[in-house]
Amino acid sequence: MARQIICFCIVVVLFLPGCISSDQSSMVDDSDSSIELVVWHSFAAESKEQATFESRIEVFMASNPGVEVKISAIPYPEADQQFMIAAQGGEAPDIVRLSSDQLGKIGDIRVGGQPLLEDLRTHLTPIDRAKFDPRALNAMRYDGDLLGIPASQDCLSLLYNPLLFDAAGVDYPNENWTLDDMLLASSSLTSGDVNGLALPVKNAYWWFGFQSGFGGSLFDQNGTPTLDSNGSADAMDWLLDLELEHGVVETGTQTESMKTQFLSSKAAMIVDGPWNWATYEAGRIPVQQSILPIVSDTEERVAPLVTYKGWSVSKQSLNKEWSTKLALFLSSSEVQKEFAIETYTMPTHVDLYADPDISENVVISGFLNQLMEGTPAPTTRAMAMVYDPLVTAFENVYAGEMTSSEALLLADQALESDLEGLE
Amino acid sequence: MKRVFVITILSFLFLLPIGHASEIIGIEADGDVGYRQVGLIWTTDSPTEEGTLFEIWVSNASIVDTANATKHSEVRVGNVSGIIQPDIGEWYDDCLFDSGEGDWTPVHRDLDGTAVVSVGAIGVNCTLTGLPSGIEIYLAVKSTTPNGESFLSSSISSSSTMSDEEIIVIETSPYVFAIGSIALSVLILLFVLRWMDYRDGRTTSRFAHLYIAPAILALSVLTFYPVLYGIWLSFTNADQSHLGDQSFIGIDNFITVISTSGFFRVTGFTLIWSVVNVAAHIGFGLLLAMALNSDDLKGKTAYRTALLLPWAIPSYISVLVWRGLYEPAGALNDFLGTNMNLLADANGARIVVILVNIWLGIPFMMMSISGALQALPKDMYEAAEVDGINKFSRFRYLTLPNLKSALVPLSLLGFIWTFNMFNVIYLMTDGGPNLDFDGPGSTDILITYVYDVAFRDGAYGVAAAWSVVIFVMLVVFSWTYMKKTNATEAVT
Repeated sequence: MARQIICFCIVVVLFLPGCISSDQSSMVDDSDSSIELVVWHSFAAESKEQATFESRIEVFMASNPGVEVKISAIPYPEADQQFMIAAQGGEAPDIVRLSSDQLGKIGDIRVGGQPLLEDLRTHLTPIDRAKFDPRALNAMRYDGDLLGIPASQDCLSLLYNPLLFDAAGVDYPNENWTLDDMLLASSSLTSGDVNGLALPVKNAYWWFGFQSGFGGSLFDQNGTPTLDSNGSADAMDWLLDLELEHGVVETGTQTESMKTQFLSSKAAMIVDGPWNWATYEAGRIPVQQSILPIVSDTEERVAPLVTYKGWSVSKQSLNKEWSTKLALFLSSSEVQKEFAIETYTMPTHVDLYADPDISENVVISGFLNQLMEGTPAPTTRAMAMVYDPLVTAFENVYAGEMTSSEALLLADQALESDLEGLE
Repeated sequence: MKRVFVITILSFLFLLPIGHASEIIGIEADGDVGYRQVGLIWTTDSPTEEGTLFEIWVSNASIVDTANATKHSEVRVGNVSGIIQPDIGEWYDDCLFDSGEGDWTPVHRDLDGTAVVSVGAIGVNCTLTGLPSGIEIYLAVKSTTPNGESFLSSSISSSSTMSDEEIIVIETSPYVFAIGSIALSVLILLFVLRWMDYRDGRTTSRFAHLYIAPAILALSVLTFYPVLYGIWLSFTNADQSHLGDQSFIGIDNFITVISTSGFFRVTGFTLIWSVVNVAAHIGFGLLLAMALNSDDLKGKTAYRTALLLPWAIPSYISVLVWRGLYEPAGALNDFLGTNMNLLADANGARIVVILVNIWLGIPFMMMSISGALQALPKDMYEAAEVDGINKFSRFRYLTLPNLKSALVPLSLLGFIWTFNMFNVIYLMTDGGPNLDFDGPGSTDILITYVYDVAFRDGAYGVAAAWSVVIFVMLVVFSWTYMKKTNATEAVT
């Protein structure tokens, strides 16, 4: 008899969970009036950005006593992947900080037939929207849906160490510089263990701006890849030759080694974003910024890709109104201004462009000028997929296996094939 | 006099509309248009003139003036030529206007996104967004003419009655049910086996099945179920956009695997990687173990500790250090005075990753073989020495045959581990350099390529098929290896 009871109990224990409805909506405790929001941010640990963010969260909670915000840090490059995995397990946070290109990766993903992010169009009033730069707001849209509220924008620009220029007797970069001037200056500055220029020549993100300057584009108006468009191969050759032919860029320079070279005064110029400015200042480098040069042949300026970061609300959030309210707060003019001044994060609020604290700040206004010359990154699945074939194209040209035209043609075909596979 | 009077009247009639704000004669709200949305329609008493501005105000109390209300949005009356006219659903919110012909047309949008309606419009129908859900609000429209004359409509109450979409949750009950079923099946099996023992008179160990039940249950849930689920996944179209609602697609994923450009290359490199590594691990491990086992060696503990260091340091740290050494600005180039970029060259990178993994794997083999060596009887060697057998012959005919029982399972385990060794290649080269479009990188082995397929491409079904292929390869190899080497006999 005892054995039968044990067997019955085991059967009940094993089968019961499978028979219970998983409708979580019934699990919401209506009696508890306090609201808990989980926010995933991707600011670097112990950075000024993180400190600023946490202080603003405190302000939000103080002004909304019924709301408790729990924050978690995730690595920026993995934010989209981690959010997808969490959402697939039904454990997505209420709010997550994502970039516009990450939205392009997430936009099409469905779990149980549902998207992962809330379309915020219904949550924002036209007055709310009008506060943001239309380019920034548009960059947070995927297939029509507004998947995030833009809180910052950034792009690459030309940074230089004036001490190394003075030592070599070379004039500082200026807005009339052409790529020829840049190359000439780099050659003059390259001496001993100092290189005139440092940038990851094989990195597609750096190439995008040069491609545009040489007259190429990533996609046409219909979104069809045009990686091998006019000027694209010239831009690739120009970049790779900095290392392979002219020797003004140290062999094998990557993103991190570019930073290290500049910090150790072994690179006179780098092409970098505002995100590392505070690090260079902390390293006592008298860093200066100038707008990227003009391509002599096309008379077009090198137009770096502009990406936007913002706050997105999970489709699985139980408190979408509060989540949107917090996302709007974190993207508000006051918070963006504090981030800009404290961390050189470029704002997206149109009012701030004219704010004296912003416009009179040499660093921020310099980067804002560069942003105005940049090309907003398309928020599409194709943009998220463009990197893989380009990595292969760069590797092949770098290794001398193909010409740049051949490699870009194959990259274009590979991307088109990948996109067809999606359909 | 009469003419003057007529002219005055006519002038008055012509000029009157200029100074007259279009009065809003009708305003309607509909709270049933969507979550956090309210539809608002207003009509004017006369065609609107260019420059008129409509402001929509919201408050939680009736609006008698705009001082205690919040502006929601604006609609401008103006020239619409040259500005965009998004279709319904294309813009952030929808707004339509009635030009007086009885049909509703989408509004235009100026550069800052403000809605613009054509001159002469007599009605506007906007879906107001960003309103609180389920709370009563008051709405009013204020019209202002270019000369500043304004008119505030009566306020109307409404509330967005539609609630948020049903909460999306992951349907986990099928998985729980499947795991429960497996566990129950195992229990039933154990009961049947117990009954069969009872039937056949094997009653000496009555609780044997009960003792192994927890282990069998744990294996079922933690090993058998994931493996079976992975196999099932390999026959479905599961990917990032079809997880949770994947469907059976037969062997399509396996066809994709076989037809992947570079399938044979990556398989070939995986075999080279595994064989070279295991051979080097065993060879160097045996050499070092014998050296450490030598009676003549002084300071064995110090050597043993030093040789164990690669194993003691977390592998990701040592791999990153190795990567730094091989980089163009790394210590190797500094030492040699060269400017090589080994990791950017396909063959160079392959050699480097193999060397690093050899360095990482030697300590384990050395320690394992060292233990086996110490277990060999000393008198056997003493007898051989007395018989005048030289050192090489003692190694060839005594040590190696006696170590077989340890070397065979060690090499088998080493092969399986190395075949699936992920972190060295991932951290050293990330599979690169990538010289093949849509194929594995030059240093990719099967397991690192599966990671790319699963987590970069999001093709879970195809990745599962790759995993099944790896599983089959390893099962076939292990089975053949054990048969050829009589491994099980040697161990027992």
